[in-house]
Amino acid sequence: MIKETKRLSKLSLLLPLGIFAGAIFIDINILSGVLEESKSQNLREWFIVVAFALSLPLVYKQKWASDRNVLRGLRFVFFLVLFTYIALLTSKANFVRIHGELNEMASIYDDYRSYIFVMSWAFFLTVFVLLSLGTLRNMIFIKRKKSTSRNFNLLMVALFIFSLMNAGFFRRHTVGAMAGSSVTLNYIFSFIVINLMVINSFRVSWINYLNKKQKLACFWGGIIFLPLQVHLNVILYGFNMTEIFSPALGQFVNYSILFLTVYIAFAFIALLAHLPTAKLYDKKMHQIGSLHNLSRAVSSEFEIDKLVRSIVRLANEVTESDFSWLELVDKKSNKLQLVSALHLTESEKRSWQPSTDSKVDKWFAEHPEPLLSNQVIKSLLVKDFKKWKRELESLVAVALRTGGHTIGYLYVGKKVTYGFEQDDVDMLRAFSEQAVVAIENARLVQESIVKERLEEELKIAHETQRQLLPKNMPVVPGFGIDAICNSANEVGGDYYDFFELGKNKTGVVVGDVSGKGASAAFYMAEIKGIMQALARGNQSPKQTLILANRIFYGNIDRKNFITLIYGIIDAKKKRFTFCRAGHCPILLASGGDDGVRLLEPKGIGLGLDPGVLFDETLEECSIVLEKNQVLLLYTDGATDARNDEGELYGEERLEESFLKSNQLDLSAIKEQLVKDLLDFLGKKNIFDDMTCVIIKAL
Amino acid sequence: MENFAVQRVDNVAYSILKVGGFLDAHTAPQLEDAIQNLVDENRCKIIVSFTDLKYISSAGLGVFMGFIEQVRNMGGDIKLSNMTPKIFRVFDLLGFPTLYDIFDDEHEAIEKF
Repeated sequence: MIKETKRLSKLSLLLPLGIFAGAIFIDINILSGVLEESKSQNLREWFIVVAFALSLPLVYKQKWASDRNVLRGLRFVFFLVLFTYIALLTSKANFVRIHGELNEMASIYDDYRSYIFVMSWAFFLTVFVLLSLGTLRNMIFIKRKKSTSRNFNLLMVALFIFSLMNAGFFRRHTVGAMAGSSVTLNYIFSFIVINLMVINSFRVSWINYLNKKQKLACFWGGIIFLPLQVHLNVILYGFNMTEIFSPALGQFVNYSILFLTVYIAFAFIALLAHLPTAKLYDKKMHQIGSLHNLSRAVSSEFEIDKLVRSIVRLANEVTESDFSWLELVDKKSNKLQLVSALHLTESEKRSWQPSTDSKVDKWFAEHPEPLLSNQVIKSLLVKDFKKWKRELESLVAVALRTGGHTIGYLYVGKKVTYGFEQDDVDMLRAFSEQAVVAIENARLVQESIVKERLEEELKIAHETQRQLLPKNMPVVPGFGIDAICNSANEVGGDYYDFFELGKNKTGVVVGDVSGKGASAAFYMAEIKGIMQALARGNQSPKQTLILANRIFYGNIDRKNFITLIYGIIDAKKKRFTFCRAGHCPILLASGGDDGVRLLEPKGIGLGLDPGVLFDETLEECSIVLEKNQVLLLYTDGATDARNDEGELYGEERLEESFLKSNQLDLSAIKEQLVKDLLDFLGKKNIFDDMTCVIIKAL
Repeated sequence: MENFAVQRVDNVAYSILKVGGFLDAHTAPQLEDAIQNLVDENRCKIIVSFTDLKYISSAGLGVFMGFIEQVRNMGGDIKLSNMTPKIFRVFDLLGFPTLYDIFDDEHEAIEKF
């Protein structure tokens, strides 16, 4: 593909050149007398016109100024014109000295030297015109509209037709006495062409994009360029070799150079009009650039420290201020803090005072717009700032607001009075809106990072806590024991454990630490350790719990406590001896459908009382378990589960579920209990807290 | 989540906190604040009335434990009243009746101060 287009573009250059060479060949033959001038005239003119027509597309392939680099294009045209101008002046003088005036020349075929001179000039001028037109086209096409391309094409077509009208073979008939209609047609066409030139010359919007320096450069360049160009036009009017060489080509060159002059004149006038506002325009562009930089910072800068620094710096740039600073409301203390400042001294930063409840705050509470003070010393609102920053003479402050509340204030200040205009205020306001988004974004990202880390840590804690629960069920002859422990992804205070006590005795504990989360999990680990240590040395549940309470009471925060049931299974005697320290009662079912009994001996929770009351209250209870009797030890996680309507599962439902299932075997009881609870919860199919131990006498 | 509300009624000698709604780990800090305020104001004769309380979790129970020692040392007490049977059941299971004075209604509690 690329190769092909390359070949094509080479062809488009070589073809017109070849045809042009054909015309020269005919000329040489005329010169040497092989061909007669009058007979070959038309043929050579045709050759030239075709070559010229084929070279027109070159105008569209020009690269100068096509990349919006107008200055390069302008420089190119300028030097082209300068070169042509100087060359033309010198060769004209030379020519006139040798041959006399051009229009007095009888024919280009007088001698070889004059022919070559004329031919080379014709060729060079054509190339010059094509290059200039190409550059102009690219400049005209900057910020193109739908009509731009159409207008330019129309001009090119009109120029071509107009040139063709001048071709020898068309004109020859009218030589001597130009027909009236032809003259009229000529006028009409030149009128059309000039009109099209003017229309195209309005396309000078590239001037907008020059900065002040470039505009000045163009201005000085134009002062030299324009007279040069006009003079070039004048010279060519009386001394156009191309016209002698080929009337059609001559017409084209003449009018193209006229177009160049018109365009440059228009551009120069437009430039003059733009010069006074050049500085303002530069400032605007600069501000837009700063806004753009801020937008970039919004999307890329999530570190709040760096972000506030760039906000303050860009605010300073946008308003061309001498100093700027940013105050933000600290989320924890809810007080304003100076988070970043530009061009404030260290001592000024230190002596900054939060202006909460100040006049400025009150003013902003009533006014949505920024605060502008061009004479700080005379403003009741902000004159206090002078005490803090002595050089401050004019100031703009804007409140950073999001969702109706103020997250801070952005200030810019100057050392001169009347330093700010409404324009600056508007700009700072637009800027501050972007800044708010940026700050909020950065904060959200930071929060989510913290949250993610916490979640990760919680996951580890949860995993660790799971490791604290027994991995295997104890094997007790004559009994089946199983446990349910569902604690989704949270850490909590539910807990159960078993102890091998020897002599066919096995300890069972189910407990629940008050509260939720990490603190509950820590106390759970603590009570597990205490129970592990005490259980082995004590054969009585009551004695064990009394000791456990003493230890635990001294080691916890007052508002925390633990409820638990501790029982010992005597496999030989089929006896279950237990105490209930403030915990949910044990459910006892006899393996049939004759009801569920609640075993609820007296006892208060661990950690509620230092000793005496606890010891006095705690009752030890002992039952003999007959075959198929089932005990259910649970925590309130099960009964306190709530469904979508906010309804509690409650003891009654648990008892019902247990009654329904107690005659089944162990694992089926377990499944049924969980299923019933899940059915009750319905859509809200997650519960994070269900701990049960089931003991069945076999 | 469900609402929780504490309403405070001050009398010359005592203060009544009327709690309603769901008292759990999320709402417990509200009650904690209310009691802390009373303690800060040196009002240590406190009656907590549970007329409209629908649910109480262990964290809710913990709130009273967190203050009882301090309040009693100041010469006051936290007395509990107007519990629905369900709420009383929770307190009862835990053994609170041995630790706190629980009354059917506020007036009984007031008389006991």
